[in-house]
Amino acid sequence: MSSLLQVSNITKRFQGLVAVNDLSLTMEHRTIHALIGPNGAGKTTTINLITGVTPLTSGEVQLDGKTISGLPTFQVARSGIGRTFQNIKVFPSMTLLENVMVGGHEIAPMGILKGLFNMRGAQKEEKLLKEKAEQILDYIGMYKWKDELMENLPYGRQKISELARALMTGPKLILLDEPAAGLNPSERSELVKVIMKVYEDGTDFFLIEHNMDVIMKISSKITVLNFGSKIAEGTPKEIQNNDEVIKAYLGRKYQAQSQN
Amino acid sequence: MTKSNITKLAGIVLLSIFMLLVPVFVKNDYYMLVINRLLINIVIVLGLNFITGLTGQMNLGTAGIFALGAYTSALLSKNLGISPWLGMLAAVCMGLLIGVGLGFPSLRIKGVYLSLTTIGFAEVVRLLCANLNDVTGGTQGLRQIPPFSVFGFKFNTQQSVYYLFLVIALIAFFIACRITYSKWGRVFKSLRDNVEAVEMCGVNIASVKIKAFTLAAVFGSIGGSMYAHYMGYMNPSTFNTDLSANFVIMLMVGGIGSVVGNVVGAVIVTALPEVLRFLGTYYQLVFATIIVLGAIFLPNGWGDGIRRLYRWIRKKCVGQKTQEGGAENE
Repeated sequence: MSSLLQVSNITKRFQGLVAVNDLSLTMEHRTIHALIGPNGAGKTTTINLITGVTPLTSGEVQLDGKTISGLPTFQVARSGIGRTFQNIKVFPSMTLLENVMVGGHEIAPMGILKGLFNMRGAQKEEKLLKEKAEQILDYIGMYKWKDELMENLPYGRQKISELARALMTGPKLILLDEPAAGLNPSERSELVKVIMKVYEDGTDFFLIEHNMDVIMKISSKITVLNFGSKIAEGTPKEIQNNDEVIKAYLGRKYQAQSQN
Repeated sequence: MTKSNITKLAGIVLLSIFMLLVPVFVKNDYYMLVINRLLINIVIVLGLNFITGLTGQMNLGTAGIFALGAYTSALLSKNLGISPWLGMLAAVCMGLLIGVGLGFPSLRIKGVYLSLTTIGFAEVVRLLCANLNDVTGGTQGLRQIPPFSVFGFKFNTQQSVYYLFLVIALIAFFIACRITYSKWGRVFKSLRDNVEAVEMCGVNIASVKIKAFTLAAVFGSIGGSMYAHYMGYMNPSTFNTDLSANFVIMLMVGGIGSVVGNVVGAVIVTALPEVLRFLGTYYQLVFATIIVLGAIFLPNGWGDGIRRLYRWIRKKCVGQKTQEGGAENE
């Protein structure tokens, strides 16, 4: 059985700057894989390379044994990858429910003309989408805000709603780009709960995060990047005690804390 | 629930009786002309709403779309002698072409640059119409465009055209409602807010944007075809940038993104100057002032203002009723 996500020797050069340098990583099924590293290490670029937002300079990305590098973003998404963004990208002028329903646009197959003439079919489809969106909102505990305009919701809620939108397509893998950034401690613990719940129900996660509490609590494997290259990989325990990682990112203080 | 349904039904019945009786009360031919032009404007603004209102791509080239629709339909029916209805069908095909042609640049250029491109498109169309003397009749214009007809019945009086256009406008309204309040309207709106997030939902943005442009162009071309066969004469100077801007103003005045708002906007911008004619030379000044005041006090458009007024009145009525009920109980 092939691994879920196979990134082989990907490189990205922005003119002279090498943002990601010959990075390879393997993510197995049923794992939560974390990518950490100092600012500017190329973490978000890596996610952009996987999703095809930025074109690769060289290398290959495979999802479940199928090559997805070189595909346009929307086809990468259709092949089973969902994503949330570092700086939230929601639709502020629409309600929470509508936001989540946009995520399901592709699972409802009817085109404009067909939807225009087949009224009953279109209605049925709309009802199905709505029910699914409501179900997901209920699942992540945001149902009571479903008719609120997105711009009126607090930042933390908006962030979690991106996860709900990504879930609409039923992806195999969700890429989370700093999901806990800007969240207060109680929102953070709720986020961890939601992530674990979704994970247990069969979706795998690949996440970037600076918050070590979250990372060490939930990830099964960690890859550390520095200046675009991989400097370490392993379980949370191994990473915490890796000298190079401590020097580049975590710091001595963290090691002392975690050993206590 | 049933009560509000009854109110709604009564409203619809009253509105349709009103619409049917318009030609009975309006005897003046000039006013009928304004009303018929209004129905054409409604169709075009409903189309423009898809691209500028929902998707948020500022299209200032509506005059170009309108002109191409009008000339396609008029030239085909005049020179080849085909029915104006077939001419309108050809205009729809032209709309499809324009939609794809304008949609592709919109994938690469954004914001102000897209607006400039669409203005450029409209100007190119206008200049072509003015200078291709052999085909379009040049600045002299095109005369004797045959009117619409059904089984030999010619729509050549203001009243008969009114009913025909009313039907077309109602169909356009119905279609616009169905699309705006479906998943397509939703995805158009989400494109206005955040493109990257939509793409990550597996939506092919290029195709959706082109669809929005195509809808706008098809509605605009149908409007053009209506105009050509209704007026019977047209010349290129009609299709200038002012006309494009006028449609955008209708959209803004009525309320961006709302279908009813579009209709309200078209009514206000088309009819208000005529209502204000009695002011003589000052009417433009007063009209502009009203529009600016509207922009300040009703930033979401006059359509939204009317909705708020309706809600306020209903609240007042309901409030009074509950008070009365309370008094009776005592």
